[in-house]
Amino acid sequence: MLKRLLIAATIFGVVPLALTGAAWAHGPSRQKVVQSIEINAPAAKVWAVIGNFQDASWIPAVAKTEGKGGNDVGATRTLTLQNGGVIEEQLNKYDAEGMSYGYEITKVDVKVLPINDYSSHISVTADGDKSTVEWKGAFYRGYMLNDPPPELSDEVANKAITDLYTSTLAALKKKIEGGS
Amino acid sequence: MNASLVRRKLGLCLPALGLLALAGPCWSAAAHEAIVTSQPSDSVSFVDLTAMKETGRIHASGKPAGIALSPDKSTAYVTAPDGKELIEIDAVSRAIKRRLVLGGAPLGIAAHPTRPEVYVADWYAHKVIVVDAGTLTVSGEIAVGQSPSGLAVTPDGRLLLSADRDSDAVSIVDIGTRTRLASVDVGNRPFGITIDAAGERAFTANVKSDDVTVIEIATKKVVGRVAAGRRPYAVALAQGRGFVTDQYGGTVTVFDQSTLQPIKRIEACDHPEGIEADADGANVYVACWGDDVLLRIDPRSLAVTGKAAVGTGPRAFGKFIR
Repeated sequence: MLKRLLIAATIFGVVPLALTGAAWAHGPSRQKVVQSIEINAPAAKVWAVIGNFQDASWIPAVAKTEGKGGNDVGATRTLTLQNGGVIEEQLNKYDAEGMSYGYEITKVDVKVLPINDYSSHISVTADGDKSTVEWKGAFYRGYMLNDPPPELSDEVANKAITDLYTSTLAALKKKIEGGS
Repeated sequence: MNASLVRRKLGLCLPALGLLALAGPCWSAAAHEAIVTSQPSDSVSFVDLTAMKETGRIHASGKPAGIALSPDKSTAYVTAPDGKELIEIDAVSRAIKRRLVLGGAPLGIAAHPTRPEVYVADWYAHKVIVVDAGTLTVSGEIAVGQSPSGLAVTPDGRLLLSADRDSDAVSIVDIGTRTRLASVDVGNRPFGITIDAAGERAFTANVKSDDVTVIEIATKKVVGRVAAGRRPYAVALAQGRGFVTDQYGGTVTVFDQSTLQPIKRIEACDHPEGIEADADGANVYVACWGDDVLLRIDPRSLAVTGKAAVGTGPRAFGKFIR
């Protein structure tokens, strides 16, 4: 998915320079994506796979996780993607008992992910022998001024995050239920 | 039919949960109700704060975000940044009355405490638009700093304060002459701004420096700083305490309003945003953008005492309790 985005960004050309100057401004409206999946495994088993902020190997698009600070609030990690893109993230909230954590992207190029000011919350909820993983994202589109170009619109940003969550959660389910 | 609905329908103020015989004309139109803008879902929710239950929801296109109330609290003014509009809503009948296209990116909004006048911050044009609430037309503009976001008016109706996010400063504007008197440097990227009941101090939530700046309005000087959680959004005041929504931290930071010393960080919800105390300071209400609820906090015990489901992505940026 990320690869497709990168290709799309390449086709659409370079992001306008003006964007960098407006990097602090909001787009008009923050977007929200919530995806969840039921997994036929106890919550503790699922948490063991996704609960370490320093190991994002359960996300297929990620090739390498490097970071520091463990699972303490303020911990950081750098994700190197399969396609070479780099995403820097910071842990804002961590609740081992409640099996949830929250983090933000501190640095990413819109060519890697067409979003800005992204923050996210992921949780595992037990339901008997099964569990549900919920992944929530809050972000702005890639273009921070009014009237965005089509490749940096709300729709593109929403699709990118929705596709990422959907494909990653499906892969997680397969990985855990498959016993690997 | 619940009590607040009865009050709305009859136009009466019941002094307590008491006798109908004591009911009189409702001067303030107070309903103990929250009006919550839900940006991604293009809706506005009405929440009965006694029952902590949503009692109505209307469609309001254009991604509604900011909100202010008329002096008698019978009318809500909502900004829609995507629609580039100001939306006027009758809070009693819950109907959209009029719309005014402003252009730009209207977000922050405040109403004059006595006059029919509303101020709207234009994020991109770096100005505050003055709207005559009687005719719902633009009556003027006031130049401020870069990307004005939160707005607040002093209780005496004399000054308008604008949190100019990308200037890292607050503009102090004389409403009578519509001129900027001063720009006060604060923390990094101030977003929400709240003025205390006495009109003496203003508190800005600084998104990038994770703190609150305290301004003494009379001297136009910064008199303090309070550390907040990750990415603070807005500030409410109740029971001599300040309450800060920490968007990324998912917490509400509580501090002493006089000494500015920290008291507690309350685990609140996913992306807490708009926050306001009710008129008597008995409760503080928080719009939880990530959880789609309005949360109630007891400002004395600092416990979360209730929540009500609302539309997706509640924001309630401004004054939303009537």
